[in-house]
Amino acid sequence: MGGITGNAIVVRITAALLVLLAFVPLLHNSYDENLGRSVLMFATLSMGWNVIGGYTGYVSFGNVVFFGIGAYTTAALWQHWHSQSIALSVACAIVAGVAFAVVLGVPILRLRGHYFGIATLGIALATQEIISNIDWLGGGTGVTIRQLDDYSAYYYAMWAVCAASMLASYLISRSKLGYAFVAVRENEEAAAVLGVNPTRYKVTAWAISAAMAAAAGAVFAGANGFMDGPTAFAIDNNVFPIVMAILGGVGTVAGPLVGALILTAINETLWSHFPQIHTLFFGAVIVLVVVFLPRGILWLLAVRGGWKGVLASVGAYRV
Amino acid sequence: MQLFWQDLVNGLLAGGIFAVVALGFSLVWGIMNIINLAHGAFIMLGAYVAYVMFTAWHVDPFLSLPVAFVVLFALGYAIQRYIINFVVRAPILTTFLLTFGLSLLVVNVALLIFHGDIKGIETSYSGSNFSIGSVTIAWVKLWTLVAALAITALMQVFLTTSRTGRAIRATAQDVDAAQLTGVRVAHLYAIVFALGAGLAGAAGVLISLSYSIEPTMGDPFVITAFVVCVLGGLGSVQGALVGGLVYGVVETFGAQYIGTGLQDAVALVVLLVVLTVRPTGILGKASA
Repeated sequence: MGGITGNAIVVRITAALLVLLAFVPLLHNSYDENLGRSVLMFATLSMGWNVIGGYTGYVSFGNVVFFGIGAYTTAALWQHWHSQSIALSVACAIVAGVAFAVVLGVPILRLRGHYFGIATLGIALATQEIISNIDWLGGGTGVTIRQLDDYSAYYYAMWAVCAASMLASYLISRSKLGYAFVAVRENEEAAAVLGVNPTRYKVTAWAISAAMAAAAGAVFAGANGFMDGPTAFAIDNNVFPIVMAILGGVGTVAGPLVGALILTAINETLWSHFPQIHTLFFGAVIVLVVVFLPRGILWLLAVRGGWKGVLASVGAYRV
Repeated sequence: MQLFWQDLVNGLLAGGIFAVVALGFSLVWGIMNIINLAHGAFIMLGAYVAYVMFTAWHVDPFLSLPVAFVVLFALGYAIQRYIINFVVRAPILTTFLLTFGLSLLVVNVALLIFHGDIKGIETSYSGSNFSIGSVTIAWVKLWTLVAALAITALMQVFLTTSRTGRAIRATAQDVDAAQLTGVRVAHLYAIVFALGAGLAGAAGVLISLSYSIEPTMGDPFVITAFVVCVLGGLGSVQGALVGGLVYGVVETFGAQYIGTGLQDAVALVVLLVVLTVRPTGILGKASA
């Protein structure tokens, strides 16, 4: 794999898949459209997580907080100004998410490893409780948002957000900014000695991460038509993107979308065939993937020596 | 002032449970660097052990404590030995994801066996309480605290005096050096995870006395365990105890003076302050 961009062919194939996803609404099937929008949403969240957790190596367990802030931006815009504009709410959501990330990032990003992870989890939980208690934002009962007549607009908006996030991930991975992120991940002290200001780059990475998640949240709220604390800060929206990034390949450009596609496909197949025990199977799939492919699916493409190479590397991390 | 003392006592009583909840979590995290997201699932299984023993054979939950510990110990040993050990040296995210998958598995198997309806344990002494001055204390909560303190003390004695306990602490300091002196790391890791699961099972039994029992009941306690570990400092028995008691008191006061819906937010804000001011916890060493 070359640099942090990952395998160039894989990036092209993934970009082609993304282009194909743009045509889903033409099928005029609401099931497919909802599923496709869900893939795009999770892929965006996963890409956002990947910037801070993958590129920069600061594993956030609370990125859902930016998704929630984005979702509540749409809710507030409808509730108080009767605005249904997707573009306006995405723009406002990005501003709010980035502002929140910068204000919190300066103290929080001093922490490392697990401590950073826990602090972000704490922020997500505390923010959910606080927002659920603000009457201006609907309090505990939530906000009902009137939807656009053209429901597919939400699909195209989510696609645009996802495509922009992927393009940004790609450009970052090839830029000086991306190399600074990786330098922070690999050795923060060495990076600082070489003139990379770690705090500045960590906050930048978190702000980019926040912008992606907030934009996805803003579109989701409109498409969902209702927003309250448990919907905006759902635990699935926190954990699934991380699982997807790991499944695809942490720190690669294509990983999040590949992971989102595969995980959604597995989840839907299990759901339709084994509705009673699909979550159980889902857990088993995760366990198997982690034990046999601890470095993600895309990593398979980089293994030398075919199946023997893959088998030889299973258990590379065992004691 | 009367309310203050009542809240303080309630907080300390709740804190005893939180200490046991965090004890096993802290051990696994401190020694193997694993954030065990299946900890809550183990707590839930412990509660069901108490429930089954109580409804099928009328065994008092306090007598189920050793049973739950042994059952969960065996399950934990097998999970670490035959699954987690394969990736235990991988970056932290890998084991994080693995235990997330394990948690889904265990919770959903429990859902198949026990179904999703909410159950509870009603003992003959469930409703009785006594008063000291103006402070009322439920007997169940008091005995729960006593049991929690006893478990914590036993764990401390085990880790400091037994041969296995010393091997565990040696491995926590330096895996390679411990291996060179003859510690079988794969086996020892399995013992550590088994202890963590066993303690979670014991915590589940204690929780079953005052909380309702259903397959997802353990999930919120994973976050409690997180917070308690950070408050008290990672990887020490005393840290888990102090962290648990502090968390219990902070949460109770938060619910009383700031609002019932906000007690978690209050506890988490305290956590963020502690993290920023003293990242290694109240009892933690100066350098992590």
